[in-house]
Amino acid sequence: MRKFTMILALLFFVGLQGVLAQSRDISGVVTSSEDNTPIPGVTVQVKGTTLGTATDVDGKYSLSVPDKYKVIIFSYVGMKPFEMTLGESNTVNISMETNVLYMNEVVVTALGIPREKKSLGYATQEVSGADVNMVKQDNFVNSLQGQIAGLNITTNTNMGGSANVLMRGNKSLTGDNQALFIIDGVPVNNDITNSRAQEQAGTGYDYGNAASDINPEDIESINVLKGSAASALYGSRAANGVIMITTKKGKKTLGTKRSGLGVTFNTSASIGFVDRKTFVDYQDQYGAGYGAYYYGPGDFWYERYINPDGTITVDPTYEGQPSSLWVVTSEDASYGAPFDGRPVYQWDAVDPQSPNYLKTTPWQNAANDPVEFFEKPLTFTNTLSIENAFKNGNYRLSYTNFTQNGLLPNSKLEKNSVMLNGTWNVNDWLTVQGYGNYSINNAKGRNSTGYNDNIMGSMRQWWQTNVDILQQKDMYDLTKRNVTWNYSDPSDAVPIYWDNPYWTRYQNYETDNRNRFIGNVSGTAKITEWLNIFGRFSVDTYSELQEERRAVGSVAGTFGIGTGPDGSLTRPDAESGYMRRDIRYSEYNYDLMANFNKNLSNSFNLKGILGMNIRKTNYSRLISATSGGLSVPELYSLQNSKGPLPLSKELASEVKVLGMYASVSLGFKNYLYLDGTIRRDQSSTLPKDNNAYPYPSVAASFIFSQLTPNAKWLSFGKVRLNYAEVGNSPGFDQLIDNYLILSPINSLTTAVPTTQKNPDLKPENTKSVEGGLEMYFLGRRLGFDLALYNTTTVNQILPLPVSTSTGYNIKIINAGEIKNSGVELALNATPVKTKNFQWNVALNWAANKNEVVSLLDGVDNLQLGRFQGGVTINAMVGQPYGVIYGTDYIYHDASGEKVIDPANGQYLKTSTSDNVIGNVNPDWTGGFMNTFTFKNWSLGFLIDFQKGGDIFSLDLYYGLATGLYEETAYTNDLGNPVRDPITYNTPGDPTSGYASNSGGFVNEGVNPDGNVNTTRIAAANYGAFGYRRGLPNKAFVYDASFVKLRHISLSYNIPAKALAKTFITGITITAVASNVWIMFKNLPHADPESGLGAGNLQGYSTGSLPTTRDFSLNLRFTF
Amino acid sequence: MKNILAILIIFLLFSSCNKLDELNQNIKDPATVPGESLFTGAQLAVANGITTPNVNRNNFRLYVQYWTETTYTDESNYDITSRPIPGNFWNILYRDVLMNLKESAKVLAETGTLPGDAPAVLTNKLAIVEVMTVYGYSVLVETFGNVPYTQALDPDILLPAYDDGLTIYKDLITRLNKAILDMDQAQASFGSADNMYHGNVAQWYKFANSLKLRMGMVLADADNALAATTVAEAADKVIMSNADNALFWYISSQPNNNPVNENLVKSGRNDFVGANTFIDVMNDLADPRLEFYFTTAGDPPVYVGGEYGASNDFSQFSHVAPALTEAEYPAIFFDLAEVEFLLAEGAERGFVGGTAAEHYNNAITASIEAYGGTADTIAAYLADPKVAYATATGTWQQKIGMQKWIALYNRGFDAWTSYRILDFPVLVAPPDAVSVLPLRLTYPIAEQTLNGANRAAAGAAIGGDDVGTKLFFDKN
Repeated sequence: MRKFTMILALLFFVGLQGVLAQSRDISGVVTSSEDNTPIPGVTVQVKGTTLGTATDVDGKYSLSVPDKYKVIIFSYVGMKPFEMTLGESNTVNISMETNVLYMNEVVVTALGIPREKKSLGYATQEVSGADVNMVKQDNFVNSLQGQIAGLNITTNTNMGGSANVLMRGNKSLTGDNQALFIIDGVPVNNDITNSRAQEQAGTGYDYGNAASDINPEDIESINVLKGSAASALYGSRAANGVIMITTKKGKKTLGTKRSGLGVTFNTSASIGFVDRKTFVDYQDQYGAGYGAYYYGPGDFWYERYINPDGTITVDPTYEGQPSSLWVVTSEDASYGAPFDGRPVYQWDAVDPQSPNYLKTTPWQNAANDPVEFFEKPLTFTNTLSIENAFKNGNYRLSYTNFTQNGLLPNSKLEKNSVMLNGTWNVNDWLTVQGYGNYSINNAKGRNSTGYNDNIMGSMRQWWQTNVDILQQKDMYDLTKRNVTWNYSDPSDAVPIYWDNPYWTRYQNYETDNRNRFIGNVSGTAKITEWLNIFGRFSVDTYSELQEERRAVGSVAGTFGIGTGPDGSLTRPDAESGYMRRDIRYSEYNYDLMANFNKNLSNSFNLKGILGMNIRKTNYSRLISATSGGLSVPELYSLQNSKGPLPLSKELASEVKVLGMYASVSLGFKNYLYLDGTIRRDQSSTLPKDNNAYPYPSVAASFIFSQLTPNAKWLSFGKVRLNYAEVGNSPGFDQLIDNYLILSPINSLTTAVPTTQKNPDLKPENTKSVEGGLEMYFLGRRLGFDLALYNTTTVNQILPLPVSTSTGYNIKIINAGEIKNSGVELALNATPVKTKNFQWNVALNWAANKNEVVSLLDGVDNLQLGRFQGGVTINAMVGQPYGVIYGTDYIYHDASGEKVIDPANGQYLKTSTSDNVIGNVNPDWTGGFMNTFTFKNWSLGFLIDFQKGGDIFSLDLYYGLATGLYEETAYTNDLGNPVRDPITYNTPGDPTSGYASNSGGFVNEGVNPDGNVNTTRIAAANYGAFGYRRGLPNKAFVYDASFVKLRHISLSYNIPAKALAKTFITGITITAVASNVWIMFKNLPHADPESGLGAGNLQGYSTGSLPTTRDFSLNLRFTF
Repeated sequence: MKNILAILIIFLLFSSCNKLDELNQNIKDPATVPGESLFTGAQLAVANGITTPNVNRNNFRLYVQYWTETTYTDESNYDITSRPIPGNFWNILYRDVLMNLKESAKVLAETGTLPGDAPAVLTNKLAIVEVMTVYGYSVLVETFGNVPYTQALDPDILLPAYDDGLTIYKDLITRLNKAILDMDQAQASFGSADNMYHGNVAQWYKFANSLKLRMGMVLADADNALAATTVAEAADKVIMSNADNALFWYISSQPNNNPVNENLVKSGRNDFVGANTFIDVMNDLADPRLEFYFTTAGDPPVYVGGEYGASNDFSQFSHVAPALTEAEYPAIFFDLAEVEFLLAEGAERGFVGGTAAEHYNNAITASIEAYGGTADTIAAYLADPKVAYATATGTWQQKIGMQKWIALYNRGFDAWTSYRILDFPVLVAPPDAVSVLPLRLTYPIAEQTLNGANRAAAGAAIGGDDVGTKLFFDKN
């Protein structure tokens, strides 16, 4: 590839030789003819060149025009373009007319090619940089929620966690379904580096998705290419839609004395508060235990002996010691003794440093429940940018610092990002551009996710309601040791299942760091009036280090390197350890394109592209860890391993794709457009003799409103239709089998890999048809954009789980078909528009119907993931992608009621676990935005919503069984505590009927004979509610629908007059409240959006952080 | 000029870039490995599979009531679906054991005799791989009944049919006979790649014959004639001393430490205590192995088991003896005690010579000796009328069953198979049990979805895919 960079350099030097011509400065103001208000953002361009600028907030512009050019063009969305021939005056003020007939809005399409939106035969939707930047978040992707019809963003509450970015449904059964991110034409890696174990709720961290490195402060606008036709030129990676990001470019600032130099400083601070509706509501009547099977009163206690020397023993070693009552410290449940104030020895009586050492304390509900564990996250964002535009180019330089202290103690995210971009018009035929962004991301103390080893899992599933969380904090602060509530035994003061949560946070924290450079250089050479050549080299490279720690003295848990290919499976137990993952990634793209644009006659225009792309991706990862614990406490290094270092897991991959493409667009009289593209990719990951695959697209649009220019009510009307195919190649190393090397036992120990690869793979193919209707009425005061689509992906490259009696877990095959069809609607309206007041409304709504059409012959189910609790997420033929399987109720044939066994009052459940008990896909999603502007004030709010979609809650599966939730300690139908024992009118005789003081509860349903069930279930012991024997998995599947008031913002621009005497040219103050109010949800005690992380496995919730309501204040100064 | 430049660029770009397919190579994992290393891996996997007390994989120590659980009592009460236990056990045997053995044999045969080796060394290795394969399949058949066999371990057959359990079992005996004949005891085999006998073919010969003895006895009720010849053929070639016991030697460092060490010690958890059903019996006999099996609890210290299946307070009951939870404590595939008990059964059925009492005494002696008991305690124990073969309670099945149960402690799977054949000791399901005491494991949930029709046919053929279905060898 060196050749190509040399050519670029050559282009560069040729350009240097261009002669800088004489020129003159033109300036002026652009106003609207309607109300004479200034129009900001009008493009002002020297005709016949690429020289240009845009008007500022006051409609002012300044432009340097070479003497040989005489005409400047003014253009703006919704306005008639205006051409002005220059006269003597250097001041050119113009007034633009609203254009109800034409829509000349220009959007950036695939490969960074600007196109008039009206000519597109496919759906796109734009979001401004300001919209995604309003709420300062750890991951800007979250800001797209509710803003784009058909783009479904699922965020979760993990600090810096990944966002699932799904466009028009899942298309690939097991491949990547995430939309592609592109910055200024450069594809940006959006890998999710979470382990397979983490995705299936094993121990792990959500390390976020790489697209979160994009700094929202630098985004000018985002254009979303929804369908394959829009993105076909990107080739294989774009089947899932493309999010095109255009960065801010340097502009000249008027009204200052610094030759147009613009300086902007933006500062923002935000604070979050836990939304209690997304956390556990604990019962407050019973404390530690699993039931009545210990000792002492009610059999709820440990009987221990305190010897004269202060030691605690199970057996009275010193004769005659009186026994004492101890809380059952080892039990991580709250199904124990009722709170009665009785003096007992609790966890804080064990440690000699504790103020309550060997003292009893009253048996009562904790004064501070675990919600007090959370901190108030504080986020600070500061951005400084400078920019300018000159005769021959422009630049913009910005620096952003983002700091967030997370919800959990000892957690922090920090991002520093520097971006420089610039354009240089070298001479009249050559323009070069460059863009570079360097970012450093540091995180400390991400929250552990999943089932094991997750503090949130403890608080939501395994906890003692008698434990005061702040006392745990005091003890940790005092001792800096692991003084836990969950001792193995009062006589054996080591933690058994759970550490002191503060110990976990301050000692067993992870850190990670990612240094990343994204950049490109490009050159455009104008060969003739109708042809130019464009070349670009771009790079995205990062190195990342993830370090995980477990301090000496912690509960033993799975840690270190296991046997799976990514080192995460069947990890051994260790009470301490250190583990690191080193990741290196780089992607290089080389593009060369010839663009032509020619009017063939007065009616016909022909545009075209002929181009090629070379993409090279390198990825390597090294996982290493200690084994058997750490020798020296608090020293986290590999050489500090107690045991011999286990085998490291190493992966190195290299992928290269050669692409060639051509596109033609034929326009007829500005109202009929026909586009065709073809691309051929040749991929290194396909078998040698079969590694090239072409795919076409064709799109047409017809602006029918052009035919009725006199229909005043109709401002614009367009129908569009397209068909596209996109091919996709497999990932690295899917063809040839290699062996696994296992940790040696005395000699080389190996195994056949669990996946059988396939040397005959063919590319996947996605075919889509899309139609759309776009109409604006009444001078664009009202409009809609409707899209209908149908996408089918065939020949999927599929890691098919197979019966292990074949010797393998998985076989890679080409099979399967998935179909997505859907509707997207974007509605825009401006109900009120006066000189000072404007109200804008936007509604996005999308419904996607997904169906797995076929898998392999004879195979009708593909298991995507298997989870704790016995549920699986599956792709099943005839069902949507992502159905939850598990045990279900048995339903009565006649009434459909749930059937109950009259002998014990429990629901009957299926013996098999392959019943469909949920579907993770929402029925429809959308967002509703309102913006009000009044003079210098602006008020906006966004409500977004999801209807349908199911989620399995492991929190309730376990937490109801362990008696944490308020649902496990209520007053029953007889007016008695539900946990009271069941009593009969004649003691011991069930036939005598239940006594009026009986506890227990009666399940709703019918007995097999159809009669209403009347049998009570005792709720005196652990497991009456929740998972154990009574309930099928179906009982823990909840509807994930929600309506959220996502944010409200209020901003105020200080009038320019007020600042006239200062050096400041503008101040904007914005106050934002985000995640303000979950207006509706069905999942109790948690946010229905709180999954494990991004990826194909959704619809499962365990141990997630609560959601925070965030309030921020933002100040923007321009100088 | 500019046009020429443009054409030049295009030409240069298109002329670069070739040898595309060479990039797609895994340069970090081996494309070839020695067949010996695959054998090492398979042997490790099968040792772990039958030894681990991990509740996700192997709960046979609970089913035969050696141990019971403390707080989380689901597995003691036979919940085998909340965690996919049958599937995990099945996966270990097919994927981690049998597939690697198959690959090992393939690679060994392809590689041929190594330089400096006699041809018999390769034959010995292949015979040993075959013995381990027969062992692996015997465990599968004894656990599930009908399983994929003739169509198994072939990734081109994604929906393998299940074969009849008895037919498989007979074929396994044929294969085992062939492997035994192939062994040249004078020659070497795997050497250090074998963590059981370190390549000693004479010992492998004894293990193979002991396995043959057991498989013959398993068939006693199902095919008495075949059982008789099989047992008779093997009887004088079996393990004759504790020094020949088939033990798999773990090492001290994770992850190749003993799984009991991993799950009971390294995990830091307190999940298991001895079960009252077992410890009560041993207390009643004042069994000298108690001190080797369990710790004491209480004051004065006594051996006391937790109530089987109920919730139990860890501190109040006997725990597994520390020696058995050491990292390097071996996995036991076969020992002299089991051989002698099998011979005692064989004598009762008239398959072998000698008296049942003699073999019975030898078995108990071998068991106590292996754990470190003295000759005096052995003599005293054997003299106890509750132990002595002549005076112990019940039929020969009960006498042998009871003592074999005690001797097979810590070998949950083998004890479970013995229990199903002899029907002793009498074990009772706990009150909260979700099913009867499992007499087999149900087919994996994954088979319902991945190989549904074949699983359904197999379920029907064995009389229902249920834990209570008696397998072909379990006649009473």
